[in-house]
Amino acid sequence: MSSKNPDRSVAAALASATCALLGTTAAAPVDAQEEPKWDFNTSILYYGEDEDRVQDLSFKSLSRRLFTDDRVLILGLTVDTLTGATPSGAIRQGGPQTFTRPSGNAAYTEAGGKLPLDDTFRDTRVSIAANWQQPAGDNGLVNVGFSASKEYDYLHTGLNARYAHDFNKRNTTVSSGIAYARDTIEAVGGAPVPLTPMLDVGDLSNRRGDDDKDVLDVVLGVSQVINRDLLVQANYSFSRQDGYLNNPYKVLSLVDSVTGDTLSRQPAPQGGPDGQYLFENRPDQRTQHGLYTQAKYNMGGKVVDVSYRYVTDDWDIDSHTLDLRYRWPLGDASYLEPHMRYYTQTKAEFYQVSLDAGESLPAFASPDYRLGNFDGLTAGLKYGWKTRNDNDMSVRVEWYTQSGDVPAGQLIGNQLSRDNFPDLNALIVQFSYRFSR
Amino acid sequence: MKQIIALLVLAMLAGCASMGVEPWERDVLARADMQLTADPLEAATDDHIYFSKEATSGGRGFGGGGCGCN
Amino acid sequence: MGSPCEVLLEAESRHAAGEAGELVAAEAWRIEDKFSRYRNGNIVHRINHAAGTPVVVDDETARLLDFATTLFGLSDGRFDITSGVLREVWTFDGSDRIPSPDAVEAVLARVGWAKATWEAPELLLQPGMEIDLGGIGKEYAVDRCAATLREHGSAPGLVNFGGDLAVSGPPSRRDAWRVAIEGQQDDQVDRLIDLRAGALATSGDARRYLARGGVRYGHILDPATGWPIPDAPRSITVAANTCTEAGMLSTLAMLRGAEAERFLDEQSVRYWCRR
Repeated sequence: MSSKNPDRSVAAALASATCALLGTTAAAPVDAQEEPKWDFNTSILYYGEDEDRVQDLSFKSLSRRLFTDDRVLILGLTVDTLTGATPSGAIRQGGPQTFTRPSGNAAYTEAGGKLPLDDTFRDTRVSIAANWQQPAGDNGLVNVGFSASKEYDYLHTGLNARYAHDFNKRNTTVSSGIAYARDTIEAVGGAPVPLTPMLDVGDLSNRRGDDDKDVLDVVLGVSQVINRDLLVQANYSFSRQDGYLNNPYKVLSLVDSVTGDTLSRQPAPQGGPDGQYLFENRPDQRTQHGLYTQAKYNMGGKVVDVSYRYVTDDWDIDSHTLDLRYRWPLGDASYLEPHMRYYTQTKAEFYQVSLDAGESLPAFASPDYRLGNFDGLTAGLKYGWKTRNDNDMSVRVEWYTQSGDVPAGQLIGNQLSRDNFPDLNALIVQFSYRFSR
Repeated sequence: MKQIIALLVLAMLAGCASMGVEPWERDVLARADMQLTADPLEAATDDHIYFSKEATSGGRGFGGGGCGCN
Repeated sequence: MGSPCEVLLEAESRHAAGEAGELVAAEAWRIEDKFSRYRNGNIVHRINHAAGTPVVVDDETARLLDFATTLFGLSDGRFDITSGVLREVWTFDGSDRIPSPDAVEAVLARVGWAKATWEAPELLLQPGMEIDLGGIGKEYAVDRCAATLREHGSAPGLVNFGGDLAVSGPPSRRDAWRVAIEGQQDDQVDRLIDLRAGALATSGDARRYLARGGVRYGHILDPATGWPIPDAPRSITVAANTCTEAGMLSTLAMLRGAEAERFLDEQSVRYWCRR
């Protein structure tokens, strides 16, 4: 083969011959790119609550493989590393309190005046999801998928399917989806028999094996293009949970009817609780109905995204969520996005800050602050920009605060002078990078 | 409840036929920042955080969850 | 043009789109009428029926013939506008009707641009020879129509004549023109290409072939032998500044058979090849 290949000059000779033929040159040099096949969306998230409560460092990725004919494979991966402590459910006392750890093989003491926290809360969670999406006919879109996650004491497996159909020149989309999950709770030390006392170290006589729950979700939705700048959506959602819905680690303090202080008990020599605490109990079924509405509005390049959600369930919890985002472009390549979210919920009917020893035991009781009356407020700011390679980067910082109160009628004696529903303050920092291949 | 929703959907469909845009007027709606879920990863993150801190979840899509954090 | 032709326009109004569309259609019909070998009385018809007498051609035809001469040289004689008569013995209909070597040999005697005398503005063909500008004409028409859109100053458009296409400018309301390259079966998309400027042309047609005894004969014929080029890719799509360049590069690559990819790599052009 000759070292100087005449083939190399063909394109150049052809270009000048074409110029002579057409009498003009091309308007602009060719710019053709094959559409990328993979779209990777990755992020690192820090979530931290104040006062040594939950800290989470999380890596997330969402990868989309685009195939021809609008078929898409979506793969999700999340790895969470959780540390910190979470409220055990017991109320504050003037003096120190000693508890048996959930494992049942050690005890720990919380200083007087402090909210009892359980610091064994330390876990790694791995979650995966895969979905396949493809057109069905000229106006339909089908999406089927599965999800699974595993952490030390929990296993989740789920299936989901969704169908969306376009009407009116694709201005109206009606969708319906169904998801079914089966989760197994593998509580540390075994799930306790509900409403039985926290026992001494080494005594696992009230612990049972694993338990599970089934979750069925149905979502029906309509989205509608109103005009060139306005898009709205409304969803109805139904969710039914069946099975073990307790938190196996939450306990209620059994308190004196007059003083409101936790009744004491004599711990065994090997250690054990010095107060009387009963494990919580929730109904084994929960049905939830939700309405979600969202609007996206373009105001000369700035985008307002507002959504409202109302959810009600048969545990008596009603919640309202208002979410507002405003995307404000700074030139072509970057933007700022302030975010506000307001959330409020009413308590579950069986939410109890403590159990009155003078009254008979209720069938259901939980001290979980997440089932109480509270408001949540989120304020955040996101800054996003395009890199030189046309990839997207963004960083957001958000503050989340929860403040609630125990219904006055539930407080007894000394409880009235203590803060039984301390505020939760969390910082959220997320860095995201999106690129295509 | 189901009948009411079915009626609602039908009524909306009928009303919607007169709304919307022609295919060539989708320039704004086609933008990435005008998608209902503009940042799916952020939405999934938020769903997970609020699922583990509040009593209600879902709405936008499925309930999320699948973790022992609640 | 022997294939579906379309123009996509991003016009401000139906009226503006109609106006620009009609200009493009007029130019396309003009080229079709003038250079189609299926029309009687046009310049190609006169050349092909000159029976050994010289024909004087106009400027535009002269430029096309000059261009064909250049390509004949660049391809070492494999790109030949007189090779169309081979169709008398080759019909690529998916059957196993392979012509006899004698029949091919007989037709081959009437093939060869080197046997023609072209000195602008006069062309002299040997009796029995014919020219066919179909291998250049469609790409030329696409470029002429895209230029018509640019000259008219209308909104950006995409001119697509049977898969050979050019854009008159990038679309203003989206990132790029999105072009799907058809796969082996109808309605199956092989790949998607974002085109902001320039042109795409595809050579090869998965449906035009003959097969016998396990051997597949593609429809690209070698004018030197009269037989299909062996080991040619099923299809080649090339991106270039103009549709003419893209089309010629994909055709020249096809004519290289097994060497098609190497040839295109050396030209430093973007291409997509399917074997």
